[in-house]
Amino acid sequence: MVDVMTFAFWIRSANLERLRRAFAECDERLGLGVLLHITPSNVPVNFAFSYVFGLLAGNANMVRVPSRTWPQITAISSAMNRVFESGNHEQIRRRTAILRYPRNDKITADLSAQCSGRVVWGGDGTIADIRRLPLPPRAVELVFADRYSLCVLGASAMTSLSDKAMHQLARRFYNDTYLVDQNACSSPHLVFWNHAPDEETEARFWNAVERVVRENYALEPIKQVDKYTRLLRDAVELDGNAALCARHQEYLYRVKLKALPADMEALRGRYGYFYEYHSEHLDDLAPIVTSRYQTLTYFGVSPESLRDLVIGNRLSGIDRIVPVGRALDLDVTWDGYDIIRSLSRFISVSGLDS
Amino acid sequence: MSNSNKYDTAFIETFQVDAQRLSGLQYQDIKEWDSIGHMQLMSVLEEAFSVELDIDDIIDFSSYEKGREILSKYGVSMADE
Repeated sequence: MVDVMTFAFWIRSANLERLRRAFAECDERLGLGVLLHITPSNVPVNFAFSYVFGLLAGNANMVRVPSRTWPQITAISSAMNRVFESGNHEQIRRRTAILRYPRNDKITADLSAQCSGRVVWGGDGTIADIRRLPLPPRAVELVFADRYSLCVLGASAMTSLSDKAMHQLARRFYNDTYLVDQNACSSPHLVFWNHAPDEETEARFWNAVERVVRENYALEPIKQVDKYTRLLRDAVELDGNAALCARHQEYLYRVKLKALPADMEALRGRYGYFYEYHSEHLDDLAPIVTSRYQTLTYFGVSPESLRDLVIGNRLSGIDRIVPVGRALDLDVTWDGYDIIRSLSRFISVSGLDS
Repeated sequence: MSNSNKYDTAFIETFQVDAQRLSGLQYQDIKEWDSIGHMQLMSVLEEAFSVELDIDDIIDFSSYEKGREILSKYGVSMADE
């Protein structure tokens, strides 16, 4: 279970120490009180991250986990139980509740009415449902809604890559996408090629991805059908905007667009289905970016130029720019929120002798 | 135990490999050194040397030799002691 291990790696003591130092000035902060977390059904380890975010911000936490019995959830909660049974963390144990209950507005409403903060992860429908349930006047709410993500690749830096380095890049791209069937908010759907036309390098990249997929991906029939159906639908709906549709057998589908449509975020692939666009101008992305855009992964393009794209154009979306391979690295800054500060309060004191 | 010994022990115990295998060993050369094994190795090294590895160094840590180079940046010298 790579995802459980990733979580374990994230909470290792060296990383928590790093965070503690990064948030040293937070000594004058306290948690808000009791948080209610509603965690998503599609990413099983998410509940554990959400819990730790709440804990690090100094709160007591009630965490509702999805009703589906993911083995990852069982593994992490049993490990937590073992730690709590040791008796060494009584304060934290008393402030922790991992809950599983069938979808029930009455329970969620009761818990919401008692909490000082609510953290909601989910699709637009879930969020709308939860938002109907009132919070106490002072309670805060952090909402991690459905987002859209893309990848920017610069072929000029890729041309010179050795086969091994290209394989590593493909492997990182695979981890960002296939590992979660492109279902995570931060998994890219659009690959934006930013360079002078270089179809040879593009082909080399995709062939390397295909090889990684062949070796590692469980390509169940339902996934093949989903991709093929999407391709047929795109053939109709894109209405001449597709310059090229390439299939690497059933492993990888690519649809190259002639123009970036205004509703690009509606074009979402799953199980290894990507939209591509080529332009020498990064600014061509500006018109399509809405607040729905979250993560931009990059390779061969300077992060400064990408930051300038977002800040220079005052884009309403894209709040995370990370190298290819890091799309899924959940951290305490997410969706543009500084989660630790958002889930705690600052005590300002005037007149202290310093 | 010398730093060099500690370094070797981390590999040997994490991946269950023989000491003779270490020289020239690269990421994914053996099935134990996959992405999960990599995270385990990084945690073990951080504990053994009381360091916090930067994420870029964790990603660049691609071989037994490269790792020595990276750790030297953190003041962990592997020179013969």
